[in-house]
Amino acid sequence: MPKNSPHLVMFSKHISGGEEMDAILQIMITGLTLGSMYALASVGLALTFGTMGMFNMAHGLFMTIGAYGSYAAAELWGFPLPLALLVGLLAGGIVGAAMHIAIVSHMLHREDFTTTIMVATAGVAILLQDLILKQFGAYPFKQPVQVEGLMLIGNTAITYQSIAIVLFAGILIGTLGWLLTKTRFGLAIRATAMNQDAAKLMGVKTELTYLQVLVIAGVMAAAAGILISSLASLSPGMGANPLIRAFVICVVAGLGSVTGAGFTAISLGLMEAAIGYYFGVRYGFPVMLGLVIIVLIFRPAGLFGKQGVVRA
Amino acid sequence: MTNLSILKRHLLGCVLTVAFMAMLPLFITQRYFLGEIILFMIWASVAIQWNVLLGHAGVFSLGQMLFFAIGAYAVGMLGVHLDWSPWFSMPVGAVVAALAALVIGLACLRLKTAYVALLTFAIVFMVDSLIRTEVECFTTVGGRCLPFFGGGQGFFGFDDLGFRSMLKGKWIVGNYYVVLGAFAFSLVASILVIHGRLGLAFRALGDSQIYAAARGLNRTRFHIIAFVITAFFTGLTGAVYAAHFRFAGPSLFEFSNLVFILAMIVVGGLKSTWGPVFGAVLMMILVEFAKGWGDIQNTLIGVVLIIFVLLLPRGLAGATATLRSKLMTDSGTQDNLHAARADPRGAEQ
Repeated sequence: MPKNSPHLVMFSKHISGGEEMDAILQIMITGLTLGSMYALASVGLALTFGTMGMFNMAHGLFMTIGAYGSYAAAELWGFPLPLALLVGLLAGGIVGAAMHIAIVSHMLHREDFTTTIMVATAGVAILLQDLILKQFGAYPFKQPVQVEGLMLIGNTAITYQSIAIVLFAGILIGTLGWLLTKTRFGLAIRATAMNQDAAKLMGVKTELTYLQVLVIAGVMAAAAGILISSLASLSPGMGANPLIRAFVICVVAGLGSVTGAGFTAISLGLMEAAIGYYFGVRYGFPVMLGLVIIVLIFRPAGLFGKQGVVRA
Repeated sequence: MTNLSILKRHLLGCVLTVAFMAMLPLFITQRYFLGEIILFMIWASVAIQWNVLLGHAGVFSLGQMLFFAIGAYAVGMLGVHLDWSPWFSMPVGAVVAALAALVIGLACLRLKTAYVALLTFAIVFMVDSLIRTEVECFTTVGGRCLPFFGGGQGFFGFDDLGFRSMLKGKWIVGNYYVVLGAFAFSLVASILVIHGRLGLAFRALGDSQIYAAARGLNRTRFHIIAFVITAFFTGLTGAVYAAHFRFAGPSLFEFSNLVFILAMIVVGGLKSTWGPVFGAVLMMILVEFAKGWGDIQNTLIGVVLIIFVLLLPRGLAGATATLRSKLMTDSGTQDNLHAARADPRGAEQ
């Protein structure tokens, strides 16, 4: 899957002189760009786990669908760029809602929800991936929704695309943070996450909350998918790589911790960029995973998780 | 009914199944069908082991294809790099898979279900991408640059089991019995685990973890034991796969393989004893039919998986058990019903 990994492309675009300052700047830019994409990819996953204890194996496909939605809108229907972006986000939200209505809502009350929902969403993942493959083919497309051009700071080139990614991700995550902490809507979600029975007794329509959470996760994942595909390319399997990173980020942060997932994503993005720069892109993820496992040996509940809740 | 008689009954079923499978080549002579049955036995064996882990021990591992691949790669690598015959490299593959499971298990299995699933999934992905991105040539085979772990194409064309020179045109029958041997090993092992002392421990931990812990059962220890045992047989199956197809490559790690086997378990019935075998039969037949309808295999697997999880979460094994207990209520034998309810293994045939 090296073809589809965004950081490979980024390095080949950016690599320049061997000056120490340049290297640090380079790592910062790559790391921040990667980190903000990872953050977008993982907050939705963390939110779904936090509120409903559901691990969504189809989350990577939400990303793929967002990317293909934007692509179809821009390339096939000729929509202008902002509108195409919106179509992609919408596509993610719709798939999230559809999955909730068709599958998740019927399974919420099962005793072994955590495991069976993983099986069911794995089925959704393979189904959606195959449908996309049938519709668009395996040939990797270029994402039309992106900004061209670059600027130079010293010897380091910064593409406007990188800046756009960080800004866009920042705006979306900021909005989500505002929604969760400052609105009644967010209060309902947080209450459900803390204790769904108590939330229900206080008049929160938890079923509706779950639907909203999956829509938010779908939109966030779609955004991540669009951004990732603008650096790499579109392919039916493009969701696998960022999904795994989102998994790892959520595990390090402590499953369900949304803020933790955001911070962890940025730091792991920076770390991966640094490892990739000094040891080769190939080792970025393996070293990261190794560190994650070491972290978990000492803090089984993750960095931001509550001790004792997670370790069975 | 004592515990022993249940174990014996299942072992008898096992003997009958293997005897039936052993007679098939006498009636089926087309190489294609024998090949399909070989493939069935391979996937069924993986499904059986995964069901022991997932359904009985309660370890949500998504790393089963890693152990399968370790077995396959052992045969491929020892065959290509050192010219070993698969007969020697197959046991090596199984042992290496078990050792890998021990290391991964020690690192991951203390964690909660969802974490175990994610970490094992991530580890498989990591190994997959490391293998695919390896570019340095270790040797050159037939003018082709071959990295140490085979790169994106993997290993092929190494020594076979030796039946091609021994049995000439009927070589596949030889392979058939080797695969049947591995399948039988895997089946017997799964029954001994499920209905033996280990299975008792799993049931105790599943019923009440706190009470089980109070009686001195260490959850992590039992999980690691289950992980290592199933990895051994999964690795053995992978080794047999490589010896039969003379291939080991990163395509084994594809998500669709994992979901295919998961579908076998879910269709047959998670937590049952024989479910995965029947599930494997059904899924193989389904995929065989699907070939005639065009390239829709993965769509079909996804749909089947979703339908079963939604409507028949206990699979066919669970459905037949429910049906049987309904029939018993109709005939009014209340005692039998109680027996069927009290004995969870009543749901397994």
